[in-house]
Amino acid sequence: MSKIVTLEYPLKELKAPEEYRGLPYIDPHKCIGCGACRNACPSDAVMKIDDIKNGIRKIILDVGRCIRCGRCEEVCPTGAIKLTTIFEAASKSRENHIEIIELKLLRCSRCGRYSEFTERQVMFALDILPREALEVEALDKRIWLCRDCRRETALSEAVDKEWKWYYGKLVKSTWE
Amino acid sequence: MVSLSRALGSERKHKLRSVRVFHVNSGACNGCDIELLDILTPFYDAERLGIKLVSTPRHAHALLVTGPLTRKTASAVLKAYEAMPSEPRIVIAIGTCACSGGIFYDSYALYRRIERYEKIDVPRRGGISELIPVDIYIPGCPPRPEEILYGISVLLELANERLTKQYYKEDSVEEYKIIRKKKSVVNERLVLSLREKTRHIIGYFDRDRVLKIFLEMVEIAEKCEDPKNELSRLIEEYCKKEKDSRIRECLRILEKDYWRLKNALLSREEVIYWI
Repeated sequence: MSKIVTLEYPLKELKAPEEYRGLPYIDPHKCIGCGACRNACPSDAVMKIDDIKNGIRKIILDVGRCIRCGRCEEVCPTGAIKLTTIFEAASKSRENHIEIIELKLLRCSRCGRYSEFTERQVMFALDILPREALEVEALDKRIWLCRDCRRETALSEAVDKEWKWYYGKLVKSTWE
Repeated sequence: MVSLSRALGSERKHKLRSVRVFHVNSGACNGCDIELLDILTPFYDAERLGIKLVSTPRHAHALLVTGPLTRKTASAVLKAYEAMPSEPRIVIAIGTCACSGGIFYDSYALYRRIERYEKIDVPRRGGISELIPVDIYIPGCPPRPEEILYGISVLLELANERLTKQYYKEDSVEEYKIIRKKKSVVNERLVLSLREKTRHIIGYFDRDRVLKIFLEMVEIAEKCEDPKNELSRLIEEYCKKEKDSRIRECLRILEKDYWRLKNALLSREEVIYWI
C-alpha cells in the first residue's frame, strides 16, 4: 500500500499557520497617518506623501517591495498595520500590490493653511495626553493651530501680559 | 535593449499547458533558490502542473528569475532571455528582489535604467523589470513553495488573482471619532506605555494578546473597593492556569509597572514612560 504525499494545494485551499508572516495590511479606519511605519521600513515599501496645497496625506503600501520583517507592526501606535497570514500575492500587474490611504491634513483655524500633520494625529495626541497633569484650556486653544500660528499666539500673549506696558514705554522713549 | 512591444502587445495564441522553465539567479541570496528546489520535491510536485526544469534556455518556454538583478548578472540574464525561442518567452519574477529590488533597492551594485529616480514611483521600481518585460510577479522574501505554486497556477489560468488595488479616502473625521469613543478605564497614555513594556518582555507577536488579558483584569479590579489586592489576586489566579512561563512573568511585571505609572500620574510626579 502506498500513501499519496503530494499536497493538493493549487486545487484545494490552504491556510498558512498562525505564526506565518504574510502580507501586511493597513486598516484604514485605525490608521492616523503618522508615518511611523515609513520610518521603520527597511526596504522602503511604505511611503508618506504630503500634498499641502490640497490638504491630503497619502500613505502608500507596496506589498511587492515588502520583505515581511514585521517592523511596521512593532512601531504602529494604533495597531493599524498588521501582518496577515495571507500569502497569495502573485499577480500579472504590479498595480495590484498597492494599497493607498488618503487622509486629511489639519487646517489651521487661524490662518487657514494646511499644516504638516493630520486631523487624526491631533485627536490621537489628545487621547494619550494625561489631562490631569496639564492645563486643558490652554491646550484646547492651541492644538488646532499650525506650527507657525502656535508660536505667534504664544509670543503675542506673553507680550500682551507681561511686556505690554514696558514695551510701549520703550517705543515711546526711542521715538522721542 | 529588448523591445517592449511583445510584453504589452499581442495576447498569446495558445493556452499554456506544459511549461519548461530555465532558472536564472541574478544575484539572489539563495533563499528563493532553495524554495524553488522545494517545489520540485514529491511533496509539492510542480511537475504535475507541467513545470519541468531544463538545462538550457533554448529549450525553455519560461525564465524563472530570482534576485535583484546586479550589474554583473544583467548581461547574462539578457543573453539567456534572447536565447529562448521567441514564442512564448515568458518571464517569471520570483521573490521580492526580482519584483521590485526588495531590501537591496538602493544598492549601487544593482542594474537600473536611470541612476536616480526623480519622481516618487508607485508602484516601486527596480528588480528584473528594469531589463526585461515580466509576465508574472511572485513577491515574498522568500515566497513559500505554495506561493510559487499559486503564481504558476495563475500563469496557467488554473487560479484567479487574489489581490486588487486598495484605495481608501477619508470623508470626514467622524469615522475615526466613533472608533476612539470606546474608551477603557485605563488611561490611553498608560496603555501605550504598557504596550511598549510588553514588547520588551515578550516581543511584538504575543504583545496584543497578553496586554488584552491584563487590561481585562484591570477593568475588573478597578471596579472593586480594593483594586490593588484584587488585581494581584486575579493575576495569581490566572498564573496558576497558564502554562507559558513568559506570560506569567510578563503579567507580574506589568502589574508593578501599572501601579508605578498610575500613582505617579495621580500625584503629578515625574514619570519615565516606556514610549
